[in-house]
Amino acid sequence: MTRFVTRREFLNLVGAVGGSSAALRAGSALGLLPVTKTAKALDLFALGTNSKKVAILGGGLAGLTVAYELGKRGYECTILEASHRCGGRVFTVRNGDLIDEIGNRHYCEFDDEPHMYFNGGAARIPSFHNNLLAYCKELDVELEVFVGENNNAYFQDDAVLGGKPVRIKDYKTNVRGFLGEMLAKSMSEQEMNEPFTELEAENLLSIIHSFGDLREGGEYTGSSRSGYETGGFTTHGVQKDIIEFRDLLKSRLGGRIMTASEGEQGPPLLQAKDGMDNIIAGFLRVVGQEVKYRAMVSAINVTNDGVEISYDQDGVRHSLNVDYCFNCIPTHLITGLDHNFPADYVKAMKYVRRGDAYKAAFQAKERFWEKEDIYGGITRMNNRSSSIWYPSGGIHKDKGVILAAYNFQGGLYHTNKTQEERIESHIKDGEKVHPNYRSLVEKPVTIAWHRMNHMLGCAARWNRSRSGWTAEEQLMFDTLQKPVNGRHYVIGDQITVHVAWMESAIQSAHWAMEDLDKRVRAELA
Amino acid sequence: MFILPWMKVNAAEENESYDDRYCTTCHGADGRGNYGVQAPRLAGMEPWYLQRQLENFRAGLRGVHLSDIEGIAMRPMAAKLTDESIADIIEWVGSWDYVPAEITIEADAGRGAQLFAQCATCHGADGLGNETLGAPALRGQNDWYLVTQLKNFKQGWRGNGDGDTFGQQMMVMTQMLTDDAAINNVVSYINTLGRD
Repeated sequence: MTRFVTRREFLNLVGAVGGSSAALRAGSALGLLPVTKTAKALDLFALGTNSKKVAILGGGLAGLTVAYELGKRGYECTILEASHRCGGRVFTVRNGDLIDEIGNRHYCEFDDEPHMYFNGGAARIPSFHNNLLAYCKELDVELEVFVGENNNAYFQDDAVLGGKPVRIKDYKTNVRGFLGEMLAKSMSEQEMNEPFTELEAENLLSIIHSFGDLREGGEYTGSSRSGYETGGFTTHGVQKDIIEFRDLLKSRLGGRIMTASEGEQGPPLLQAKDGMDNIIAGFLRVVGQEVKYRAMVSAINVTNDGVEISYDQDGVRHSLNVDYCFNCIPTHLITGLDHNFPADYVKAMKYVRRGDAYKAAFQAKERFWEKEDIYGGITRMNNRSSSIWYPSGGIHKDKGVILAAYNFQGGLYHTNKTQEERIESHIKDGEKVHPNYRSLVEKPVTIAWHRMNHMLGCAARWNRSRSGWTAEEQLMFDTLQKPVNGRHYVIGDQITVHVAWMESAIQSAHWAMEDLDKRVRAELA
Repeated sequence: MFILPWMKVNAAEENESYDDRYCTTCHGADGRGNYGVQAPRLAGMEPWYLQRQLENFRAGLRGVHLSDIEGIAMRPMAAKLTDESIADIIEWVGSWDYVPAEITIEADAGRGAQLFAQCATCHGADGLGNETLGAPALRGQNDWYLVTQLKNFKQGWRGNGDGDTFGQQMMVMTQMLTDDAAINNVVSYINTLGRD
């Protein structure tokens, strides 16, 4: 039988856990934000009349960063890209594009218009990812605002109000009202343990009142913050009914709703206009000539004074001998190559698990969300499809592309299904929010990173415990970050502690180039 | 070494084309096997065995049980293959030189030798297999893969398909391997058989 907790008991419970530790745990639930400083220009030695050859394995963001920066300093770079395209997990699909999932190869059939695209991988740029933003500026990549948090989007959970979709503003306003009322009551009815000055107490009460939009006496009686039931412009607004706190507490999604606008996923967010791969296009405008496509590496042999690479292209095995190699191939694929890496290096590569993030998208025959006052943003659902993202661009056009599913941690669920089963599951999940969903969407694409050709995984997973990295894991990471013989570097977001962000890929490349630079300066001094 | 362009698949003329030669993404350079994604060695695999397995995957006789994690990943790949693609893949695989697999499992090979007596009935005392009996070569395969497959047979995650006669035989035979130690022992014995 369910035991109900009174408001006072709740406060005592929070108190018993200990104010500061409870606050700390609440904070860490958001994910720790890495410290980013203003992007600094890389201080790398320009070769001048000296000649150095570099092989870059994989034309993702980290590899392109290396080609761009070392190219500026006179290094002769060759990028070997196994697939037909550069960008790796910076992948935008448009009309006619191949989605090369092994066992589920399909082509995108969206209408051929600039706003009809889907970012199947990287999709958000936090405003403090400075190195990435600096490249966008330098490479003339047009950016626009990405709407992540939208209070008019929905929250849907079968356990709440019979599964009826609730606007995020209704969820948040009510939760804040009830929490604020509890805090206000506890201040007025109980002696505070910590003595406050009169002014401090007054200001705290004021914060609590505005947090919850409380009435005189600390009562929460509903709020116009979530809009009115009717009226509000030419007639007086009629307030919406309160959603009972207990109803809202039936969902496990609360943490996700209340933190959706915080940290790295909080506003302001940016995106490349007309598709995130325009960042890749920006790099390729400079280094595009150095890319060999469908060039699949088969062997890497590190010697004392260089790296010998074999690769297959057009049915022919080629060799490429260079001074340095920057390797952005996923670690779980490097292990399948012929190589002479040291045992501890291989051990680390074998340890890293591959992520299984999964995304799907539909073309919408009409922009039905705009009829529901939604312009961009994310609906959050307590089901496997998890989210519906409405496009930030293309406002008021005839059609649009929506994200129909995004499962970052549990993507294998959909990956293990057929294309038809995946699509049906997303339609069923979406119908709970938008009743006519089935008839409004068409032309699906699914991106199962675990099966994408030449990838076979999303973000690397280094630590296996929720409580953080073990010393052994840190040691393996440090081993793999360091170069072999000062000649071979593994790069990419896989060699960072903050995977799955473009900024991380760039910073891994910077780390490796700065390490190389020390060696080159010493050698040429 | 050369690769013939084969089976170009064009959804539309202007679209990016691809053939069905995906093998090396998962199975490693020249099909040497890849621990990183638990994909076994194809180089050196008998053409008749490779064909049977591709057909089993395609027919849904293998890679169906949800606990067969790698088989589940293989099946959709094979499900789309035509007979011509299978023939092409077998020819391609045949072009790869066999390179001895790295030994990763060391256990009690002595005890393994006793257990292997049973295996030898079909797979041969030298572990080189027997086409007439439908038994593939064991030596030279990635040892971690042999362990996974023995476990899969024992649990009924492989071999349980309707009409998979050889798989059903293996399900029965693997019952003699009473625990993980026995499986490791027999595989460590197979490792001693070596293969050039």
